[in-house]
Order: sequence, then C-alpha cells, then structure tokens
Amino acid sequence: MPRSTWRFWRWPGELRRGGVLGMNRRNAEFLFAHNPRARYPLVDDKLLTKQICHQRGIPAPATYAVIERNGDIGRFLRSVARWPEFVVKPAKGAEGRGILVIRRHDGRIFTTVGGQRLDVSELGYHLATILSGLYSLGGQVDRALVEQRIVLHPGFADVAVGGTPDVRVIVYRGVPVMAMLRLPTVASRGRANLYQGAVAAGIDLKTGRTLGGVCRGRAVDCHPDTGRPIAGLTIPAWDSVLRSAMNLADGIGLGYLGVDFVLDAVAGPVVLEANVRPGLAIQIANRAGLVHRLQWIDAHLPAGLSLDQRIRWLQSAKQPADETIVWLASPATSTAESLSALPPPRNASWPCEPSSASY
Amino acid sequence: MNGRSSARWVVLLLCGAGLLSLVLRRSGRDELPLGRDDHLWRLSYEIDFKASAAGARLRVAVPNGGLHSRVFREDIRYTGLRAERLQKMASTRELSVTTLRGGQFRLEARFDVHLSPRARFREPASASQLTADQRAAYLRGSRTVPINSAVVRERLQYLQQEAPGKKALLGAIFRYCHEQIAADQQGPVDAKTALEESRAAPLGRALAMVALCRAAKFPARLVAGFLLQESLSAAPHFWVEVESGGLWLPYDPEYGYAGQLPADYLPVRLDGIEIVRPGWGVEEFAARYALTAISPHGGAPARRGETLLDILDLTSLPVEIHEVLTLLLLIPLGALVTAVFRTLVGIGTFGTFSPVLLAISFVYADWRTGLLVLGVVFGLGLASRAMLERLKLLLVPRLSVVLTLVVMSIVFAVSVLDYFRLTPGPEAVLLPMVILTMTIERFYLVAEEDGPGYALRTLAGTLMVGACCYLVLQGQAVGRLLLAYPELHFFTVAALVLVGRYTGYRLTELWRFRDFPVETPNQPLPA
Repeated sequence: MPRSTWRFWRWPGELRRGGVLGMNRRNAEFLFAHNPRARYPLVDDKLLTKQICHQRGIPAPATYAVIERNGDIGRFLRSVARWPEFVVKPAKGAEGRGILVIRRHDGRIFTTVGGQRLDVSELGYHLATILSGLYSLGGQVDRALVEQRIVLHPGFADVAVGGTPDVRVIVYRGVPVMAMLRLPTVASRGRANLYQGAVAAGIDLKTGRTLGGVCRGRAVDCHPDTGRPIAGLTIPAWDSVLRSAMNLADGIGLGYLGVDFVLDAVAGPVVLEANVRPGLAIQIANRAGLVHRLQWIDAHLPAGLSLDQRIRWLQSAKQPADETIVWLASPATSTAESLSALPPPRNASWPCEPSSASY
Repeated sequence: MNGRSSARWVVLLLCGAGLLSLVLRRSGRDELPLGRDDHLWRLSYEIDFKASAAGARLRVAVPNGGLHSRVFREDIRYTGLRAERLQKMASTRELSVTTLRGGQFRLEARFDVHLSPRARFREPASASQLTADQRAAYLRGSRTVPINSAVVRERLQYLQQEAPGKKALLGAIFRYCHEQIAADQQGPVDAKTALEESRAAPLGRALAMVALCRAAKFPARLVAGFLLQESLSAAPHFWVEVESGGLWLPYDPEYGYAGQLPADYLPVRLDGIEIVRPGWGVEEFAARYALTAISPHGGAPARRGETLLDILDLTSLPVEIHEVLTLLLLIPLGALVTAVFRTLVGIGTFGTFSPVLLAISFVYADWRTGLLVLGVVFGLGLASRAMLERLKLLLVPRLSVVLTLVVMSIVFAVSVLDYFRLTPGPEAVLLPMVILTMTIERFYLVAEEDGPGYALRTLAGTLMVGACCYLVLQGQAVGRLLLAYPELHFFTVAALVLVGRYTGYRLTELWRFRDFPVETPNQPLPA
C-alpha cells in the first residue's frame, strides 16, 4: 500500500467512506448510549476490575497484597521477602502514574527496573502517598495494589524499547471489534502511551497477527528505534485474549470499552485494566474504520446472548467479504501452542531503517 | 422520540421563542411613548491630550443624571489607554484614564440623556448624611473660594446688616450675586475679582456665591455641568448647591433660579470646576463638548418601577450597571465559541471555561498588561509546581501552595507595574487566580503524562480559544444589543444544542486521520 506522505488532510467524505469514527460520534452515539455512568467506578478502580477478573476466571496479574490503611504498610514490608519481584500501583491511578516496578530486593534495598534504589522507608513512604491519593483521579483516598511483575514476552524484545508492550481490544456490545498492539519507544520513555510517541500496530482479529502501525499520528511500518518491522508479529493465545476481553466487558457492563492486556513471558496475556474512553488512533493502526464494524454489530447481533452463545454466533455469522469485522476463532489454536510457536518477526515488503532521529 | 429529533424540536422551539420575544419587545418598544415634554439629548466629549510618558493620568467627570435627567446609554472609546470608573464622594462619577505609553491620545465619550420634567429620576441630593469632615470641607476656604479675603468679609458684613437672620441672609447672598454682580461672559472667573469689580462670567458669579455662603457658615459647593440645548461647542455651566435643612438646594446666580432648577440642568461634577482634570504627565489637552438632540426613536427605555414587566427590560437599569451586565451577557457567546472550537474544530483546552474566564479578565484589564502578568505568573507557577513535585504533597495542599504563589506573584506584578508608573486598575487583579492555578496543575500533569509537546499544544489551544473569546467579549456593540434584547440568547442556546448534536468529524480529525487509506480500505498489509 503506498503511503501518502504528501497528504495533509483527508476530506470528510473520504473518512466517511472509510468508516472512520470521529470523537464527536464516538461520544454521542457510543459512549453516551452504551456506557451507563454508574459502571464507571468498576473501570476507574483497578482493584474492582481485578475482582471481576477473578470472579470470571479472566487471567490477570496475581495480586500479592492490597494495602488499604497506613497500618498495613508495616505488615506488608515485614512479609515482603515472600516476593522476589513485584509491582506497586495505585488502584485508581491513571496513565501509569505512581507505579513502581521492583526487580529485586534483599528486604532492605529495593531496586526498580529503571535501576533506582530505594530503602525500606522510601518504599513505605511511596505506599503512604498512594494511600493518601497523590496519584488517584481527583485526589481521592486510594488503595495500593501489590501484584506480580510482568516479564516481557521474548517474542517482543525487538519491538518494545524500555517497557512492556500491551494489547488493546475494543469491545462493542460484548463483541471485539478492533485491536492493536502498543509498543513503547525511546520517545515514550518505555510507556505504551501513543501521545508520548509509542507505536501502535493494528491486529488482524482473525489471526492475532499484527499489521502495520501508527506512530505520532503517521502510518509507520517499522519500530522507530529498532527499525524492526512491526507487522507480522503473532499475539500469543489470541483466542484467550478475545474471550477474556468479551468476558470482562460482560462483567463490567459497559457497551463500548477498551480492554488492555500485557503479554507476560510465562502467564501469556493478562488483563491490565479497562478504559471507558478508548482512543481513536487504533483506526490508523488498523488502516480500517470502526463505524462499519459497529454498524454491522448493531444490525446483526441478536440481543441477550450469553458469552458462549455470542462466540458461537460469531463463528457462524456471515460477515461481509471485504471486512475483517469480528473474530472468527479457529478452535484448533490452543494457548500453549501459540505461546511456543511464536514466529520471528517477518520482513515487511518495504525496507525498514532504524530511525536516526534522537528523542 | 429519539435524541436527534427531540433536539431538533428543542432548537425549533428555542428559535420560535427567541423570535416571538424579539417581536414582542420590538413592538412594545415602538409603542413606548416618551412623555409629552420629554426629550433625548446626546452629550459628547472629545478630549485630545499629549502624554509625556506612560502612566500619564487624566480624570474625566461623566454625567450621572439629575432629578429630571437620566443617562440611559453611554459609549466611551479610546485606544492605548486604560480607563477605570471611580465613584467619588458627593456622587460624581469619574473616569480615571492612564496612558500605556507617551504620545498623542484621544478619548471620545457619548452619553445619551433622557430628560423628563415630570419625572423624578432621583431624589434631591440629601445632605443629612454628611460627616463632620465632609461638612467642614464644604465650609473651608481655598484658592478659588477665598472666604477670608477682605472683599468677601466686607460684602458679607453688608449683607448681614441688610438681612438679619439665617434664612434671609442666604436669600440676600443669592440676590446679591444674581443682581449686583453684572453678567459678563468675558468677565473675571474668580470670586475675589468678581466681587471687587461687580461683574463676572458665570463661573465667577457662582464662585462668589460659594465664597459668601461658606464665609456665612452655609455649607456650599460649586456644580459644573451642562445646560441641555443644541450646541456643537458647548461650554460647561456652573451653579451652586447650598445645604439647607438636610438637602442640597441648587442656586443659579447666572439665570436666577433658586431652590429648584429647570429640568435641562445636567450636573456633571459636584464640588469642582473642571470636567476634565489633567494629572501627572499630561502636557497639553483640549476638551470639546457638544450637545445634540436625538430622535425619540433612538429608544430611550422606560424608566424603571412602573410595571412588573420592567424587570425584563435591562436597559432601564442604572447605567453604571450596564457595563457589568453587558459583559455577563456576552459570556454565553464566549461559551459558544469554546464549544465550537472544541466540538467542531477539535482544539483541546485546559479546562472547559478557562479560556472564557481568561478573556473576561483581559477585557477588564488591558490585554497587554494582562498577557504580561499571565506569562510571568504562569512561568513562576510552573517552576514552583515543578519544585513542589519533589515534596510529594497531597493534591489540595499542593494546589493551595500553587494558589498562594500565584496570588503573591500577581500582587508583586502589580507592584512592579506600579514602579514603572503602569499601575493596573483593580480589575486587572481579577485575573482568575483559581483558574490559573488549575491550568498550571493541568499543564504540569499533561506535560508529565502525555509529553511537553502535547501540553504546549493544549496551552496554545487554550490561548487561541481565549483570544477568540476576547474578540467576542470586547464587542461592545454586540453587548449593547444583548442588553436591549437578552432574548437573543434563545438563539445561543439553540446553536449550542445544534453544536451538541454534531456528530461529524472535527476539523483537526481531517488532519489526524490524514494517513488513513481511502483508496483501498481495510486491506491488511502484505505479510
């Protein structure tokens, strides 16, 4: 596909034909209509999201401890030897603020992934600031979550720089409609945040294989730091990712949401969090608009289907030929198989150069 | 009924209601008769002056209406100046003007006055509220009121012999100034010479009467104003007010009115001679005044308090309130601008209404000073916020520290400007401090979370939307129209409903999705 670098805009008609979902339409027709406000707390509080995951058997990072009061901090620090590595995060934090990833410790000195060394009192202080709401939305009193550290899946070492990639699946009325893989870059300082310059690669819902991507609003095909192509990667246990996303969306009860997964080397994809206002750049990453898919679901999805019924319906539903609309799982792929059989990144059809730009 | 069609109905209803009330008001206004003897006048000032440097000051007295006259509209225009309104003791309304640079300046002002001999727009000025200090001031002599000069004492002695008793003495003083001092337009304009030569210009006669009254221990003051009669180069007229029985009673030694004045006397400055008082840094100035009758169709609104429906007529409120009301009525337009930018254009801002609130503060302050203060405060606030990050403070105390710093830097910015003789008016301090604090906090967080580029873009968006709001809020003509027809906001709400139902692409999305493939939609990449 030729990249149209000379184009500075698209006409509204072009976007409409491509089925691109704009911000106003997303808010008015999908968020307002399908997301009851009362359900937002389930998404804003990671602990509540996690409880739903546990109830529904959705894989999520193992919770080691939940610290609710200042009195719990001392107790946690005394028993910290049980976990050689762990992550501390605020339950209501946003954008990765307040997250501390401890790589190793001897009970007194804690070393983070970034190489920072904290002593016990500093870790205790960090936990206290989380409880007091320093990182939470609107400064409310918060809880601290101590959970399993995610170890970068080796299949993504070439395309994730300084952080852990994550997978976002957009689920509409309980059906996955689009997905992308977000890869940290030097510019994004290891965070999978597209505003900061992370790369996103679209994912073919049928196969779980990545397509081309987007970085800083431009279509890209290679990782800007490593120069490796970002197309052709296969997400391990793709079926389980989609099933978990549907399952969690049912549990939360929101009609339009994004579910974020991280890819752990051992546990595979685990749910990180959910997002009530998933962004729209995913459409550039996938080179596809959301509108046609959402409309197809509105037109065809029977109401009131259970999770299994919905999966069966999706596998049997006749979908338009030119659209990879929704997931058509092939029952043969098992989680273990896809984890072990991760292919190396393939060469894309155009040459990829490491970016010379310094960030 | 779904959201779309109900929104359509609401828009139609709002437009209908707006049109209906516009038509009703329009016809009501046409029917509104001016009283039989009522007249409308326009008093115009044209003041040219030269300032030696920035910070030159000028004080201009503006009419406040009298017993039978009422200012229903005013329009003051200037550039390169900062003007603020002062309400002085003795209810003279003044405009204090400060230049922002040296050079030649012009200030133009127009006051539309409704004159109604039958009406009593305000009660006669009460003097019973005078404090001892004020009373003493109205009895004191000065260079223009030489109560201790020989000629004043001699004339007073003579009059006291003629008319023993307090009440008779006041009458005698008035008669003396009216009859014994001959009218002479070219005559002296000071009290002493007027009494010595027994001839004087109107100002000289009035000052002579003030001097005699004060020497006789009657609190008295000079009033400068205008007689409402057609004139393209009107000269101020002068008369006297004497305190008597708790009231200020007017006396005009020129035309012989005592105790009561005809309706066409429009007072401007009480207890002073000059309409325009040049201050520091004003090198030369010329003031021209003109009086013209205006057609009754110009729409002098009815005076307040006659029917309950008057509540709906904002123009009948005292003119001092007009400015604030006009600004308030413009705010919804600012909100509409913000909504259009956010929803149709897609420009992000820090906080929904911070651009409008910033724009309001710039309308009150001068925008250059405002922008300078804003830049300094924002920079200092951001630097302090970055330092506070190390302290790891909780949200509310952290915001409060930033707010304190913002307040301190605004206070000292005022002090610095004053040092350079650019004292901003009290309104400049209205700079929305809380909004600024929240903007600093949001800027900092966004810069941390989404990168400084995104934060700067949002800041630029905030300033741009603020600038557009400023242009809207500055529109005095639009503001006056809204004051006369506040029902126009039915259309504003209708427009907001329409914007709120717009689900098309934002302008910035056409750029954002510029790399979206259109020729071959939804085709996966070659693997």
